[in-house]
Order: sequence, then C-alpha cells, then structure tokens
Amino acid sequence: MTIDWSWIGDHTDDLTTLSVSHLQAALTAVFLGLLISLPLAVVAHRIRPLRGLLLGLSNVLFTIPSIAVFVLLLPVSGLTRTTTVIGLTIYTLVVLLRNTVEGLDSVPQKTKEAAKAMGTRPLRTLLTVELPLALPVIMAGVRIATVMSISLVSVATYIGDGGLGQLFTDGFQRNFPTPVIAGVVLTLLLALVADALLVALQYVLTPWTRKRGA
Amino acid sequence: MNRRTLLGGLLAAASVPALAACSSGITSLEGEGSVGQGSGSSKDGITIGTANFTENQVLGYLYAAVLEAAGVKTTVRPNLGTREILIPALKGGDIDLLPEYQGALLHYVAPKATATEEGEMQNALTIALPAGLQVLPYGMAEDSDAFVVTRETAEKYGLTSLADLAKQNGKLVIGAAAEVKTREVGAVGLKDVYGVEFKEFKSLDSSGPLVKGALKKGDVDVANLFTTDTDIQANDWVVLTDPKNLIPGQHVVPLIADRKADATVRKALAELGNVLTTKDLTELNRQVDKDKKDPEDVADAYAKQKGLTK
Amino acid sequence: MPDTVYELFTNLGSWLTSAEQWSGPDGIGHRLAEHLQYSLLATLIAAAIGLPLGLLIGHTGRGAFVAINLASFGRALPTVGLVVLVFLASGLSMWPVYVALVALAVPAIVTNTYAGMTAVDPDVKDAARGQGMRAHQVLFQVELPLALPLIMTGLRLALIQVVATATIAAYVSFGGLGRYVFDGLAQRDLVQVLGGAVLVAVVAVVLDLALSGLQRFLFRHRTA
Repeated sequence: MTIDWSWIGDHTDDLTTLSVSHLQAALTAVFLGLLISLPLAVVAHRIRPLRGLLLGLSNVLFTIPSIAVFVLLLPVSGLTRTTTVIGLTIYTLVVLLRNTVEGLDSVPQKTKEAAKAMGTRPLRTLLTVELPLALPVIMAGVRIATVMSISLVSVATYIGDGGLGQLFTDGFQRNFPTPVIAGVVLTLLLALVADALLVALQYVLTPWTRKRGA
Repeated sequence: MNRRTLLGGLLAAASVPALAACSSGITSLEGEGSVGQGSGSSKDGITIGTANFTENQVLGYLYAAVLEAAGVKTTVRPNLGTREILIPALKGGDIDLLPEYQGALLHYVAPKATATEEGEMQNALTIALPAGLQVLPYGMAEDSDAFVVTRETAEKYGLTSLADLAKQNGKLVIGAAAEVKTREVGAVGLKDVYGVEFKEFKSLDSSGPLVKGALKKGDVDVANLFTTDTDIQANDWVVLTDPKNLIPGQHVVPLIADRKADATVRKALAELGNVLTTKDLTELNRQVDKDKKDPEDVADAYAKQKGLTK
Repeated sequence: MPDTVYELFTNLGSWLTSAEQWSGPDGIGHRLAEHLQYSLLATLIAAAIGLPLGLLIGHTGRGAFVAINLASFGRALPTVGLVVLVFLASGLSMWPVYVALVALAVPAIVTNTYAGMTAVDPDVKDAARGQGMRAHQVLFQVELPLALPLIMTGLRLALIQVVATATIAAYVSFGGLGRYVFDGLAQRDLVQVLGGAVLVAVVAVVLDLALSGLQRFLFRHRTA
C-alpha cells in the first residue's frame, strides 16, 4: 500500500475544501448540541425525576447506529447538510447532557446558598455562579463531543455528504488507498487542532482554576 | 465553492436547517413528495446528482462540462447513492439533473413496462415519469446490466444464457448491489422471466470492488456487473446471454426537473449524447478506475478533445 | 409528517413479527447471531489488549500521559476510513471489521481502567504493602477489586459502541444487523432501516443490562 504523493499535491484545494466542510458539520453539531443540552441539563439538575429520564433517553439514542439515523432523516431533510448536522447533533447530546448535569451537580451547595443569602435571583445565580463553576466539567464534555463529532462526520458519506468521508468511499470504489490515508490523517489532525483550541479556550474562560493549580 | 471564514461558515451552516427544512419535499416513505419546489430555471444554476459508481460520476462531470460551456452554472454532487435515493432527491429539489439509463429507469417508474426498443422506451418514459420530471433525448452510449460468471463456473454448470441458470436452481449464489434484489431488472425479473431461484442473494456493490472480489474468490457464482466494466474482458469472465430480453437497452439518458429543462440545457446535453459512444465511455471509466484520474479531469479533457468545450 | 411516522412504525411492527423475516440467511435470527459474534469477539479482543495495558499503566504510573493521549487520538479515528483502509490492504476478509471495532473499543477500556486504578486511595496501597504484600498481590487483591466499578464502566461503554458500530460490517459485504440498514438505504426501504436500527439498539441495551448485572454479581461475591 503506497501513497501517491503527486495525487496529494494535485488535490490540496479539494482536501482543504473537504476539511472545511467536515469541520463545519462537526462544529455546528456541537454548537447546536450545547444549545439543546444546556436548558435540558438545568431541568435535569433541578427536577430529579426528569434527570434519569433525560439521561436514559440520551443513552438510548447513543445505541442507534449513526448510519441508520442519517438514512431515517432522509424523508425529513433529504440529501442535505441539514441531515448530517441533525444526525451528529443527536450524538453530541449524550456526552454534553451528562457532563453539563454533572458540572452543575459539582457546584458546592454552600456557594449557591451564599449567592441566595446575598439576594441574587435564581436565574442570575445560574448564569453568574453555577454555570461558570460548572464550566471545567462542561468543557470536558465539549472536548469529547467535538472529537467524537469530527470522527463521526465521515459516516454521512453514505448519504452523499460527510466531508473528508467522501475520500473513503472514493478510495474504496477505485481500490485507491491514497485518498483514504489522506482522509484519515486529516480527520485526526482536525480533531487534534480542535481539541487544542478548546483547551486554550477553557484556559482563557476559567482564570480562577489556574490560580488554584499554581 | 467559495471560502468562508470559519466563524462565518459556522453561522451560515447553523442557519441552513431552517431554510432546508422548507425546501425539501421528500416527505413520505416512497419519496412521493410534491415536485418543483427547487428554484426557477437553468439560469439559477443546475445541481447534478450522481449515483455511487464511477461511470455515473464521469457522466455527471461530462454534463457539467458541456453545460458550463453553454453558460449554465453547475454543481456536481458525486456519490449520492442508488436510483432509489436519487429520484426522490430529484423530486424533492435537492438535485436537478442526473445521468440515467433508459431501460433501468423505465423499470423503476413502471415495473411492468414491456417496451424494449429505444424509441418506445423513450415514449413510455415520457408517460410514466411523475409530473415535474422528464427525460431529454437519449445518447448513443449504452451501459447495460450483465450477469456474469467465471469461465470455470460456466464450464462446470454448462452456463451460456440466463435460462441455463434455472437448471441449477437453489445451488448458485448471486452477488449484486442490494437494490438489485428488489429490482425488475435483477433478482425479481430473473425469477419471473427465467424462473431462476438462487441459493442466496449477497448484497455487494455496483460493479465495484466487493462484487468483483467476491466473484474472483468464488464467494458468489453469478455477479451483476456493467457491460462498460473493462474487468469483464480482463478476467475472461462470461456474460450470460439474455434470449428473453429481460435486460432492456440501457442508453444513457438525462433525467431532469422540468423547471431546468430549457433550450440551452437541451441543446448542450443532446450534443454530448450524439458524440459520446459506448467505447468512449468505457475508456473514460477505465481512466478513472485504473489510472486513478479524477472523473472531473477525465470528463473535461474528453469534452475539450471532442470540441464540445473550448 | 405524522402520517409518515405512523406508517413507518406500523410497518415496522409487521416487519419485526413476520415469520418469513426471521428465517433464512437474511433472516433476523441469523443476522442477530452474526452481529453478536462480531461485537462480542471484538470487545473480547479489545479487553485482552486494553485491560492489561490500563492495569499496567495504572499500577506503575508510567506511560500514563502517552497512553491517555493515544486513547483520545484513537477516539478521533474515523471508523469508515479505517474499515476502507484495512479492506484495501487485506481484500475481502473480516479483518477490516475487527480492526476497526477493536480500535474503537480499546481507548474506552484503557482510559477507564487507568482511571479506576488511579482512583484507588494511595494510603490503602501503602497499608497493603506495609502488611508485607507483594507487588502483584497489591495489584490483584487490592487495586483491581477497588478499580472494578470503573473498569466495568469502560467495558460497558466499549461494548455499546461496538454493537452500534458493528453495523459497518455490512458495508464490506458481511452480515450482522447492519445488512438491514445498508440494504434498506440502497433500496430506500426505511422500514428495513428502522428495523435494523431498533434491533441494534435492543441488543446494545440488553448486553449493557447483562454486564451491569454481572457487575452487581461480582460485587456481591466480593463483599460476601
């Protein structure tokens, strides 16, 4: 199995386009996943009976093969990017929801009581005290969800999307390893870079955790 | 594709769901959505969808080349899947044009169709196609389905025609793309017309690495391949003859949404159809599959060489 | 839309319950057996690789950084790409399926085993050593039992992912429940796709429950 370097040289534009499209799908899914799981996590955190239900439901969604989800979405959103993004979003939920709930749980009761004693309203407490303190755990979830989404985008190649995944079906049909290797390496690179950027973002967003560590 | 900044792309992509949810018309199990929700005329550009095998992509890029030369903006979406997936997408407006094959398309929209002559099939298609879709004049090039066995298998069981398969009912394994199992020009027709019953149907791919690999290894006895596949000759495989004409003529024919089928598009695609021969198409497939050239480059070079584009 | 969903699920009912659907080489019984075979064998191989690795790293504390980063690297590996790559290298065989599934399962097993080992209170280990226990005795009699809950979590997570992903075997011509998903896609038979997906989810949930039952049993055994 040899790499045809000239093919890679001739296709840098295509590889860039596919990488950008790949990343777009994955990041949009994580973004939407966060938008959905934040309010759900608050509900699950506050209302105990709903907690098991929501977490259990997201766990069950996780057991459905991703390819089936993409295909079952065809009657809803057709052969479009939307199908890819909805499918990926569903998979981010299991990680994001669980970590956000755990993050909120990790905020010490005393801190919340102190905020209440100071007359801070519940919504304000949530936004200015609980969520920031939960941020490290939430960010850990965001990192896992991002890496997972980036690796999962390629499954959408079976419905004609899939970013770098298109290189896999192409290489498969033509018995041509070079595009497949390029696709795998670029997917790993995207995941590494995205993860590093998220670590940096977390560093900037949570200055207080640094002092404690020092 | 224009390059956007990452953030801009993220926001744009995030706004897609709302828009696309309105534009997609495929809302039932069979994909019987309403037709014609895609935008305007060929002036707004044409999205060409292609199926999951090399030749269809070559054809898609050939369409793109001649349409671009005629001043129509095109987007090619390679490798979208099977006819069963593509035609609902065409009805729904996700794509506007796709390279099709006369007989196979006719049997998809009218499984009991009896027409076998090209002109008849073209008329039958015009009647049978759902409102909003039409076929343009068919081209010279043809790519038929072939049921193929290895030389050894042919000799062992005395197979020369599809009718011979019925003598070995319950013994042979057939390998083909999954959709062939439920198609008239496939397992269904082989049973109805020739009375053939296989021991097993193995879902593989469309004249791709799986079905050819399985035939070589002996995992399947009969394989469904395309007549434009150069591997048939290269491996000295035997194409079973079709005395009862189960397999209809398969001239390449553009299937297009009415809203995009204006004079410019008709003229450009007709010119291509009159130039491209079966031999040419076979050679272009070979360049993509064996020489690992891009279907787009192969198509562009051919169109230029034939004077279809400048 | 509501009509479509209703239709889909009523058709699913008859698909799942028809006798014809359960028999023969493409029957649910056979596909289920294939799917279980792929999933369980792959998870076993992954456990044989991941458990010793996680225990070793956790016990010695060496190589943790490399192992944990390799594991998160492994999580980013695109399964489809890996399957195709191994297919191109090995031809028509089961290798692509098992390599991809094992690669998927090993990271979850290693990281959780390691996490379980590091969560063991150092004082407990010191006390065990103080009582004159040898290194391997500390590992197998103290650390391993205490790390077991997290180790089991890793195994369960790996198994769920493997069961869902074993669907990919159908892409390279093999069987399993993924056959229904891929064939249903090619034929645009959504009932078949849904049937395959539901069966995969049921298998994953049942196996997970079985493992958590095993976990409870192991604990009762230990404390009794």
